[in-house]
Amino acid sequence: MENVTGEGISDQIERFQTQLQMDGRGRKHRILMVSDFFFPNFGGVESHIYYLSQCLLKLGHKVIVMTHAYGNRSGVRYVTGGLKVYYVPWKPFLMQNTLPTLFLTFPIVRTILIREKISVVHGHQAFSTLCHEALMHARTMGYKVVFTDHSLYGFADAGSIHMNKVLQFTLADIDQAICVSHTSKENTVLRSGISPEKVFMVPNAVDTAMFTPSPDRLSCDEIVIVVISRLVYRKGADLLVEVIPEVCRLFPKVRFIVGGDGPKRVRIEEMREKFSLQDRVEMLGAVPHAQVRSVLISGHIFLNSSLTEAFCIAILEAASCGLLTVSTRVGGVPEVLPDDMVVLAEPAPEDMVRAVRKAIDMLPGIDPQVMHLRMKKLYSWDDVAKRTEIVYDRAMQSPQTDLLERLPRYLRCGAWAGKLFCLVMIINYLLWCLLEYLQPTEGIEEVPDIRPVHARLESVDDTCETQGKGI
Amino acid sequence: MKNRAVEMSSGVYTYKHHCEGGFDIHEIYIKRSKFRVLFSYVGEIFLFANVLHALLLKESLCINSFWSISFAFAVAKCLKYKPVKKESLLIMPTFGVQLEQHFWSGRVHRQFVPVGKLLKPVLNEHVTPITCYWSLVLLLHSEDKLVRVFKKVYPPVKMMVPIWKALDAFTNYGGMGNSVALQPNPLLINVEQGCTAT
Repeated sequence: MENVTGEGISDQIERFQTQLQMDGRGRKHRILMVSDFFFPNFGGVESHIYYLSQCLLKLGHKVIVMTHAYGNRSGVRYVTGGLKVYYVPWKPFLMQNTLPTLFLTFPIVRTILIREKISVVHGHQAFSTLCHEALMHARTMGYKVVFTDHSLYGFADAGSIHMNKVLQFTLADIDQAICVSHTSKENTVLRSGISPEKVFMVPNAVDTAMFTPSPDRLSCDEIVIVVISRLVYRKGADLLVEVIPEVCRLFPKVRFIVGGDGPKRVRIEEMREKFSLQDRVEMLGAVPHAQVRSVLISGHIFLNSSLTEAFCIAILEAASCGLLTVSTRVGGVPEVLPDDMVVLAEPAPEDMVRAVRKAIDMLPGIDPQVMHLRMKKLYSWDDVAKRTEIVYDRAMQSPQTDLLERLPRYLRCGAWAGKLFCLVMIINYLLWCLLEYLQPTEGIEEVPDIRPVHARLESVDDTCETQGKGI
Repeated sequence: MKNRAVEMSSGVYTYKHHCEGGFDIHEIYIKRSKFRVLFSYVGEIFLFANVLHALLLKESLCINSFWSISFAFAVAKCLKYKPVKKESLLIMPTFGVQLEQHFWSGRVHRQFVPVGKLLKPVLNEHVTPITCYWSLVLLLHSEDKLVRVFKKVYPPVKMMVPIWKALDAFTNYGGMGNSVALQPNPLLINVEQGCTAT
């Protein structure tokens, strides 16, 4: 038997330390995205998770998405780029949210975390039940957790107070949080009491390859204003009812295209009838996302009348198509576009009409192609993925804590809520011990990775060589 | 020609593969849980004791007796343990595949899938509200449901991969003989890398 000399031991230690440093520097993460909102449902959160996951896959990380079942879509699905999606067969209960069960999702969350060898759990959206429960279970099991908040929320009404308490519970023990705008960060810090140093600002982005301007520039003989949003109170549909007749009265050559559906559509139809604007206001109804670009490039100005927005992807898409934007000055909207691309107004009809007038005056100086190129530089999902990667690295560097160190953080959530939260976490920990006994970690089989195509070809060659040698 | 038998163990499952009489036989043996058997007997004794207690009482049968007997029956039903001794997959060249479940009580349940109906074997990731596991299933012509190869047991995926490969070779060559089906094939190597095919 060969003797291991002191020199050999030193070399081994040195090599091990080098290996550790290399691992720390270039380590790839295995990320589990959790939310109640994912395709085939459609919205800003769904798009954010999808595009972010695609770009993280391109950076070499492994990304898995966990959501609830959508109709018959249940089980494991693979979408573009090998993105694996777990449609867990929990039925949606209210507005695409699963029923809050607090503990019942622990077994499936634990199984997925172990079999996929997850290192970071990334939850999305403050009112996603599955997100809150998964983050709680992941923290109990000692995983690093990151949370992204996609919406602004109030402080005064009963629903907001309850939601803020739930958010406080989730963020009391979070590693890092992400908000999509500085206004959203301020809102989240105030609502949950999380330390501001833990909150990163990573904006949304737009798929500029999908939203390109029209090749030939539109003439200004007739000015078309495009509105695409859900026709609900939050999106300012009531504001539209006041603004559209006034703009049509003041500017005879203005025409409106309104895309989207919702409860307030009837009010807009009534407005059209009342002011005899059938030939100047075109109602498209619900617009599939694949057709949004063709609607946008038929207009000169994009009108956004939202009453509250953390970020606003719609105005990004419009600007990417070369449209000048008129928007209400609410939430994070002023942060989204440079001043020469957007005209901001208070959410009042008179101010909106003034802003539209100003936009019409600015129109001759707008070049859609130049605007598109600027958008391509300003907002890119690759940049968002790189920033999110930094957040993951910071989360991995945070210290490991056990239950006794985490309970005081929950106690600070409130006089009664703190004790209740501690009780919930203790029960969750005991449930984890029970699950470890019933189904040990060693018994859960890890999933083999599907390698990218080029790696597969290489491995095929290697295997052929090996077989050749075997023969 | 009898091939050398292959054996693999993992936890309570043991995988054996051998050829016999021209058939390719894959078997998964399951260790019997002594505690489960003991609990099963305890449940039966509990039911028996309740029935005797009701019958031996001097008073006539009352509602309490019925409730206690029903409860004991429910407990015995829950604790009842029908252990599976092994599950077998027989690949019969030219004919098809036969799925068998052998119980310790001696009962055998068989299901035959003709080769003409067999479309493709698939290693499926099965997600339930509680857990997630692998299962080997068969895609059949003109059927909208998958047929599970192992109905009562949940063997690990590393045991199912060789069975899946054998079935895949069987379906690829339309049920031809063993000598061709079991030959290593470069085409299978590519599929081999993607053994999580869904």
